[in-house]
Amino acid sequence: MGVMRIGHINLRVLDMDAALDHYENTMGLSVTDRDADGNVYLKCWDEWDKYSVILTEADSAGMNSIAFKVEKDADLDALKKRITDYGIDVTDMAPGEMNGCGRAIRFNLPSGHDMRLYAEKEFLGKAVGTLNPEPWPDEGKGVKAHWLDHALLMCELDPERGVNKVAENTKFMKEVLDFHLGEQVLVGPDGDIQAATWMFRTSTPHDIAFVGGPEMGLHHVAFFLDEWNDVLKAADIMAKRKVKMDVTPQRHGITRGYTIYFFDPSGNRNETFAGLGYLAQPDMPPITWTEENLWRGIFYHTGEEAGAFTTVYT
Amino acid sequence: MTKNVVTILDTGETYGCAGEENLLDAMVRLGRKGIPSGCHGGGCGVCKIHIVDGAWRGKAMSREHVSREEEAHGIVLACRAYPASDVTLKVLGKMKKAVCRERKYGLV
Repeated sequence: MGVMRIGHINLRVLDMDAALDHYENTMGLSVTDRDADGNVYLKCWDEWDKYSVILTEADSAGMNSIAFKVEKDADLDALKKRITDYGIDVTDMAPGEMNGCGRAIRFNLPSGHDMRLYAEKEFLGKAVGTLNPEPWPDEGKGVKAHWLDHALLMCELDPERGVNKVAENTKFMKEVLDFHLGEQVLVGPDGDIQAATWMFRTSTPHDIAFVGGPEMGLHHVAFFLDEWNDVLKAADIMAKRKVKMDVTPQRHGITRGYTIYFFDPSGNRNETFAGLGYLAQPDMPPITWTEENLWRGIFYHTGEEAGAFTTVYT
Repeated sequence: MTKNVVTILDTGETYGCAGEENLLDAMVRLGRKGIPSGCHGGGCGVCKIHIVDGAWRGKAMSREHVSREEEAHGIVLACRAYPASDVTLKVLGKMKKAVCRERKYGLV
C-alpha cells in the first residue's frame, strides 16, 4: 500500500542534443518516446516502466517535477485525502496528462518542489526480459546505469528567520506519505536543527533526501550501479568523455554508498550511487550525524567539503 | 593553437585561453583557490564574470543567472564564454560570497 518508489524526474536542460549525448552515451539510458512539446523520455536498462527521466529544453537548468509510483490506484484517493487534510492543495491529473501514465495527483512539497503520484505507467520491460534472463544486456552504452535511484532536493534553511523547509518536508513525508527517516544531520548551538534528512519507502537507505540551503532547487539526481568496480569504471568513462566531475569515487558515511558526483551538460548534478548501503526497514532506528561530523558523513574518507558541493546546484 | 591573453582585473593575473576553450576551463588551470568552478555547463551560475573588454562568443546559459540584457553587456558565465580576442574580466558570482561567508549552521 502507498508509495512504492521513485518513478521519474523531469529535468530542464539548456541544449537537448548535448543532454541526450550525456544521458544516452555516458549514462546508458535509452530514448523511449518524444512528445509534441519536444520533451524526450528515457529509461535505464533494468527498469520496466516506460521512462524514469523526462528532459525538457528550457532557458534554465534544474528540476521541473519529481514523481513517485504508488502500489494501487485507490492509494491515489487515500493519499489525496491525507495531503488535503494536512493543508496542502492537490490537483488531479487526467490519464495521459503525464505521458503513458494513468490518472495522477500533483501538489507542492512544503519546500515548493512539484511532486506527483501515479499508479500506472506503460510497461516496456527490462532489456534482459523476464524469461530466463541474462544478468546484464550486451547492448547499452557508457556506464549502463541500472535505474533512477533517488534525488536530493535543496530546501530553504534559514534558522534565524525561523525557516526550515527540510524539517517541514521531512514531517510531511513521514506523517502523510509514510516515508521512514533513515538518517539526519542535526546542527546549530543546541544540535536540534534538522539540516538534512534521508528518507525511504523501499529497502534502501534513501529514495529521496532533503538538504538545507539558501534557496530551493535540485542538488542531484542519482542512478544506480552495482558495486565499487562499476563506480571506478564509470569514472573512467566520464574522464574519457570529458564529463565535469565534482567528486571522484568516494564512500559516503551517510547511507554507506559508493559515489561519484558529476554534472550533465546543463549543469544538473548527477550521481552514480552503488552498493546496497544497508537494509533499511520501517523499524530501523534513524541514524543521526552531528555538525562536527557532518563532512565525514558526506565524504567519509576526507571529511571535507569537496568541490563546490553545497554552494552549486540548479 | 593561438592563445588569447585573459586579464583578471580583481587580481591582476593573466592566463592564456584559446578560442576553442571556455574562459573557465583555462582559468581553473591557474590553480588558485576561490576560482568559481561549479557545473561547467551554464546551469549553476557561480562562474559569473563581467567581460569588460575584448571580443567573445557565448553558448546557451541559464537565464535564471544571466539575463539577455546582462549578456549583451558582457556579463556572462565564464564556462559558456569563448574568447575571440584578448579579454579583460572581473569575477562576479556566488562563489565570491561563499568564500567570505561564515557558516553558522553547518550547511548554511
